[in-house]
Formats: sequence, C-alpha cells, structure tokens
Amino acid sequence: MECREMVVLIHECLDGETDELANQSLLNHMKTCSSCRQHMHELQRVIVFVQSASHIHVSPDFTARVLAKLPAPTKKNLFSSWLRNHPFLTAAAVFFVLMAGSLSANWFDRNDILQVSSANMDKLKIDRERNVVVVPAGTSIDGDLVVRNGDVEVQGEVRGNVVAIEGKVFVASTAQVVGNTESIEAIVDWIWYEVKNIGNDLLPIMR
Amino acid sequence: MDFVEKRLTERAKRGDREAFAELVEIYKDKIFQLAYRMVGNRQDAEDIAQETFLRVYANLHTYDASYKFSTWIYRIATNLCIDRGRKKRPDFSLDEEVEPGQGLDWYSRLSSSERTPEDKVVTQELQQTVQDALSHLQPKYRSIMILRYIEDLSLQEISDIVKLPITTIKTRIHRGREALRSKLRLM
Repeated sequence: MECREMVVLIHECLDGETDELANQSLLNHMKTCSSCRQHMHELQRVIVFVQSASHIHVSPDFTARVLAKLPAPTKKNLFSSWLRNHPFLTAAAVFFVLMAGSLSANWFDRNDILQVSSANMDKLKIDRERNVVVVPAGTSIDGDLVVRNGDVEVQGEVRGNVVAIEGKVFVASTAQVVGNTESIEAIVDWIWYEVKNIGNDLLPIMR
Repeated sequence: MDFVEKRLTERAKRGDREAFAELVEIYKDKIFQLAYRMVGNRQDAEDIAQETFLRVYANLHTYDASYKFSTWIYRIATNLCIDRGRKKRPDFSLDEEVEPGQGLDWYSRLSSSERTPEDKVVTQELQQTVQDALSHLQPKYRSIMILRYIEDLSLQEISDIVKLPITTIKTRIHRGREALRSKLRLM
C-alpha cells in the first residue's frame, strides 16, 4: 500500500476506528516504512501535547457572580415556589375554596318554596298561609326535621334535631326535642351548619 | 450523573435558583477551560463562561431534555467563543468607568498578576506552547481539537454539539492533528 493511503489509516487508528485487519496491515507497513513510523509518532505526540494542557479553574466566586447577574425572580415564580414549599397549606387552601364554593352555590341556588324533610311527613301539619310546619302536640317524630323557607313550631316530640333554614324554630312548653334546635338565616350560618354536618358524619367513621 | 442532571435541569426550569447554582458548579470549570483554550486569556474566558450560563438560564425553557445537558451547554459555549473571535472586540480604555457613577474603572476588573497555583508549575513554558499552537489553528479546528483532547469528548458527542456529521468531525480532527504536527516540528 502507498504511504498516502497509510496516513488515512493512521488517523483512523488514532480515532480508534480501525479493525484488527487494518491495524495489522498498518503495523506491517510501519515496520518497513520509517517515514510513516515517524508520522504516526509525531501525531501521537500532538495528542499527548494537547492533552498536557493543564486543567485550569475558574475563579472561586464565579458561581456567585453568575447568580448575581440572573434576572430577578418574577412574582409568579416566587408564588409558585412558595406553593411548592408548603404543599399541605396549599391543599388546605384549595379544599377550603372548593368547599366554600360548592356550599355557597347551594345557598344561592335555593328557591322560595317551603321544603320539609322528615321521616314522618304524615304526622306533620303544614300551615301554608303562615308558612309554618307544625309538630302537633301528642305526636312524636323520629329522626331529624329540616325545614327550608319556613318556620317550625314544635308542640309535640322530636327524636332528633330540628333545623329551620331561612326560618325560625318555635318550641312550645309542651315540646320535647331530643337533639338541637337551630335556625339558619345567614350564609355564614349555613356554611357552618354544612361543615358541622360533614364533621358529624365523619366522626362515627373515625371512631 | 445523567439522572442528577435531569432532576437539576427540571428544577432549574421551574425557576429554582439553587438547582441552577448546582448546574453552574458542575460545569463552570469545563466551560471556562473550553473558553480559555479558545481565546487564550482568563478575563475573556470568564466573560464567555459567564455569558454561557446566563444564556443557559434565559433559554432553559427551550432546552429539550431528550438531549444531554452537556451537549447543549457546550454548544452554547462553543458558539459564543467562535462569535467572540469573529467580531473584533471594540477597543476601550482601562481608565473608563465600568458602570458610570460607580467609581470603578476597568483596572479593578483585571485578574491579579499573581499566578494561580496551576500557573506556577514548572511546565508553564509547555503550557504556553500548547496555547500558542492552538491559537494558530482556525477556530473551527481549534474548538474541535479542544473538545476532543482537552474536554475528552467522543466523536459522537462533538458531532451533536456542533451539529455537523461525524465524518466532518473526523476530517477536522485529522486536519487539526496534521496542522499541529507541522507546528510542533518547527518548535
């Protein structure tokens, strides 16, 4: 082979791209050709020479100087990094917002029709004119009695809570209410009532 | 290593400065080394290294995580070095103030004449020879020789960095080696 072709092979060999066969033919050639041997040697020296460039280090305060030059963090970034650092508070805030939203939606969605919910509807007397639900004397009602958009007059017995939403609860002297009586007239009361309900529902589970 | 870098770049992307500072720590010497061998003096090299990191920070949102971070940062640094060589730096006086009204002139920015420990070693003359020899290469050969033999990168990585086919990289390395060979013969 000619030396010119060999030089190409020498470079490929230095790049580690030659196979066993090529290496062999290169070695054989260099045994007889001193100029190629010299060439190879000089190229190897070049590599060692460049590699001998000592590794220098940047000045110690380099990182601090770079950081000082960065653009100031935007408000948005500060806020999002705060959120990342306080995941629990974030979750609580999200929960609170959703909760308040759905509860107040309930509050505003209602209409003005008198609504009664009880397990013993048949025993109740509903006075449409005065917009009052009456628990007549001598009757007893199991479970909670919830009335919306009207008052409640309890003369008999209720084995549970009595709640009037947007109304008042009147308890006669003959009345017996096992649970609590409550009138809810403002949104804050409403939310408090809903939260309490959820709490009460959860408590038995936690016990 | 790659995994750590991935985490760091993701965090830095979201504006986490501590993560970015760690990336700077990992790469500052490599980038400074490349810049220093390209331009031949500490001051310009530090400027280029600093500019590299500022660009990395400003363009983090465009960084494609399917590439190695090192490839990306080397590319930015290489381009900056070559650009710097292309346009002659405007002349300025050392007596000028760095920023008007701060009372600092450019003398305060000069690196101190005291030698760093690396410079003190006996091989200082050899070091100067290496630097001289490299500076005689054209920038497109110089950058590739530095990436190959000083930064110790593979042909494939260099090809990714400069976005040229691997055969072109090989040709440039061959020519770079030959050019340095004839340079060394004269010395």
